[in-house]
Amino acid sequence: MASYVIILVIVGYLSLLFAIGIWADRRSKSKWVHNPWVYALSLAVYCSAWTYYGSVGIAATSGVSFLTTYLGPIIALPLWILVLKRIVVISKQYQVASIADFISLRYGNKRSIGALVTIICVIAVFPYIALQLKAVSETFDILSGSSKSVSVFTDSTFYIAVLLAVFVALFGTQTTDASRRRSGLIFTVAVESVLKLVFFLIIGVYVTFYLFDGTTDIYNQISALDGFEKLATFSNIEASINWYFMIALSFFAIFLLPRQFQVSVVENTSVSHLKKASWVFPLYLLLFNVFVIFIAWAGKLLLSGELNPDYYTLYLPLAHGHKFLGLMVFLGGLSSVISMVVVSALALSTMISNNLIIPYGFIKALNDSNPKRNAQRIKNVRRASIFILIIGAYFFYVNFNIELSLFSIGLIAFVIIAQLAPAFFIGLFWNRGSAIAAKTGIIVGSLVTFYTLVLPFITEVFVEGSSLITNGPAGIALLKPYELFGVDFMPPVTHAFFWSMVFNVMFYLVFSVLQKGDYRERNYAELVVNASSYGELQENAFVWRGEAYVSEIRKALIRFLGEKRTTRALNLFYRKYDIDPQEEKADARLVNFSEKLLTGSIGAASAKLMISSVVKEQPVSLPEVLKILEENKKTITINKQLQQQSHDLKRLSDRLKNANQALVEKDRQKDEFLDTVAHELKTPTASIRAASEILFEDDDMPIELKKKFLDNIVNDSDRLTALITNILDLEKLSNGREVMDKKQHSLKDTLHKAVDGVYQLALKKQVKIDVNEIESINLYYDEDRILQVFTNLLSNSIKFVSSKDGVIKVKTQLTDTTVLMIFEDNGKGIPQEDMEFIFDKFYQSNNQNVKKPMGSGMGLAISRHIIESHHGSIRVDPNFIDGARFIVEFKK
Amino acid sequence: MKKRHQQKLVILSIGLVIFLNLPIIFIFNNDIDILGIPLLYAYIFFVWLLSVIITFTVLKKYG
Repeated sequence: MASYVIILVIVGYLSLLFAIGIWADRRSKSKWVHNPWVYALSLAVYCSAWTYYGSVGIAATSGVSFLTTYLGPIIALPLWILVLKRIVVISKQYQVASIADFISLRYGNKRSIGALVTIICVIAVFPYIALQLKAVSETFDILSGSSKSVSVFTDSTFYIAVLLAVFVALFGTQTTDASRRRSGLIFTVAVESVLKLVFFLIIGVYVTFYLFDGTTDIYNQISALDGFEKLATFSNIEASINWYFMIALSFFAIFLLPRQFQVSVVENTSVSHLKKASWVFPLYLLLFNVFVIFIAWAGKLLLSGELNPDYYTLYLPLAHGHKFLGLMVFLGGLSSVISMVVVSALALSTMISNNLIIPYGFIKALNDSNPKRNAQRIKNVRRASIFILIIGAYFFYVNFNIELSLFSIGLIAFVIIAQLAPAFFIGLFWNRGSAIAAKTGIIVGSLVTFYTLVLPFITEVFVEGSSLITNGPAGIALLKPYELFGVDFMPPVTHAFFWSMVFNVMFYLVFSVLQKGDYRERNYAELVVNASSYGELQENAFVWRGEAYVSEIRKALIRFLGEKRTTRALNLFYRKYDIDPQEEKADARLVNFSEKLLTGSIGAASAKLMISSVVKEQPVSLPEVLKILEENKKTITINKQLQQQSHDLKRLSDRLKNANQALVEKDRQKDEFLDTVAHELKTPTASIRAASEILFEDDDMPIELKKKFLDNIVNDSDRLTALITNILDLEKLSNGREVMDKKQHSLKDTLHKAVDGVYQLALKKQVKIDVNEIESINLYYDEDRILQVFTNLLSNSIKFVSSKDGVIKVKTQLTDTTVLMIFEDNGKGIPQEDMEFIFDKFYQSNNQNVKKPMGSGMGLAISRHIIESHHGSIRVDPNFIDGARFIVEFKK
Repeated sequence: MKKRHQQKLVILSIGLVIFLNLPIIFIFNNDIDILGIPLLYAYIFFVWLLSVIITFTVLKKYG
């Protein structure tokens, strides 16, 4: 394929990525850009050219060990929700912009440790970036069929490197606050992750099912070859020791590689996204690895042994004349290179500016300048770092042209990065780990790595046949770099990893307990280790004593953030802690808050330097720090308790208020009821008195008339008696003084008795009572009382139906546990608003204006009490519209 | 997410360390194949897939 065609395709592809990046940047809030899938897929920046090409190379030459790179992350991902969540929460609160920031924050915002971490990361990742560019260049040559270009300016890889640098500078340095999310860049990384996976799967399917007749076919052919066992099994126990250490190595890498920290922590937009990532990412890796062995074996079977096995993926389609597929494979590889280079360069440039250049030297210049120029300067530092890193990596690759596979350079990077592991992981859970111990551990571990891995590696390249490896320095066999202290059964990388970790961890642990850290260090250590319980303390978790003025701090903030952002941030701060904005003196909270504000822009260490230059700090002793923290924590807890208590009190007082209202209402009802009772009692009394007076005064009254008056007196006395009986009844029932005489009776019989009782009344009004649907059931109850209820219900109905066509129907319904007696009539029914109250003994008094026949006022109230004394219930069916329907429910 | 359910995932992680390492992995260290996939690979891929499914289920149910 002609070079210019490939270049055109590359340019087209990069333009597409630019367009996607710009599109996503403008829609950073839309659900397409801000979602857990984008987060999970962006983690796949882990799969660099190493995965895309290198895995096949390893699978073809040394077998199963290529999987270790992915098994570490597989083991790590279930822990994501636990470990990474804490890191993300702390990082967000403290505006952490890189792993150097995070580690230096944990060890008291010391600039030296941030710088050390940065240097380690640059040393590890720089050659790794060079290797990625090497992969682009070599695959380009394979695809175009040309040999490598001699001049830099005719080498397409150079231009690709320049374009990548422009891409990172454009999307990665829009704001000075490096802890802000870069949605455009991350979205393109996610898109590339999808593309490289799809392309790799396509080529996998092509090789397995087009070039061969499925997996079994490849297996049968390859297993016939010599030395196949080596590719499918472990040859010995030593190989599996190697396996164990390599998994540990990649476990560290998934947390510690700057590009992984960048995508998983700094670019995380929501903690909840971690959940999706915990299963999507392992699944992604699984899909990526399924076809690796088949491509590797196919390459071994079909291609000449002289070709570099790293590029079997590309050679296979080209050897069969499928140029378009070859181009696709190349683009997939390019995608993995681009995302790796872009994110690594971004992460490293932030670290270089915030943890190396600004705190060492630049801080003074920034201090004397205005916000606009400062912002420009910080951005320029980062852009320059990006260009130096990427272009530098290109020249590194061109000039040294390392004759090593992708896999081994990647592994060396892993071992160097792993030196951060003790300081990072132990520091996360152990509050005594101190800055000096972390530094010592990292330095000693790195020196060991250098001696056991990098030094022999370099000597091999430059000095042929050096005696260093075979005989050891000055002939001391115990110090042979690849067989330190006589450990001669491990491959170089595992060997270096093992010894560097032993030294690193031991120095870290021993130094941590030998010497205690200062109070500031311990303060931050407590913050990180107890993130879950100190999290809510926020600014209060920072212990600081001294003299500081708001105006000074404000000036310092304005220098970096500008007038507008500073004012806005301070206003928020004042509102949050309810502080008077006129207050001149600053307290610990403001000092801490300002440090946090600056961290994103100039890094944790510089922020601390910056703020401490405008405040006068007095040292606090370590026990005091711990005491204050404990007290702050207690205060928060007590505050919470008080809040809870006041909440409870409020609820209680609300309830009391309601109860009081109910009582007042009841009292009013009782008054009204007494009025009614008095009135009702007065009426018959008055009529008795009137009749008696007439009888007393008029002696000449005809005997018939006299009889009539006497009759009236007797009737009214009866009415009085009934009324009084009712009142007494109700009183007795509602106080529970009445003892029910419960015996077994037949409901049917009782109902018949009730009907007999009202028979005369019904006959007079010509009302029909239908009791045909009554089943005979025996229950335990007080017959007199139930009879009273039935009579009451029946006579009520008779009262309210119209004469002649009035019909009352009584029926029973049985369920598993209850017996329902239903009384229906076709009368005028019960008004909706009254339904709730008709069983209230005081309720009837509300309808004073409706003159009711005596006795109806309390009948239902009495009935309810009677039924409730039988553990049943009585209610009105609100859905019955043809009249009234009362339902009496008995428990079986 | 409750602590107990988080701990399920921690246990999964510990389980993966055990099942993907010496000596268990040696049980599958032979030259048998399943549909053209050597047993060792088949076993590793199976554990891998199982961990994805377990993580997914735990997070779906309690997350």
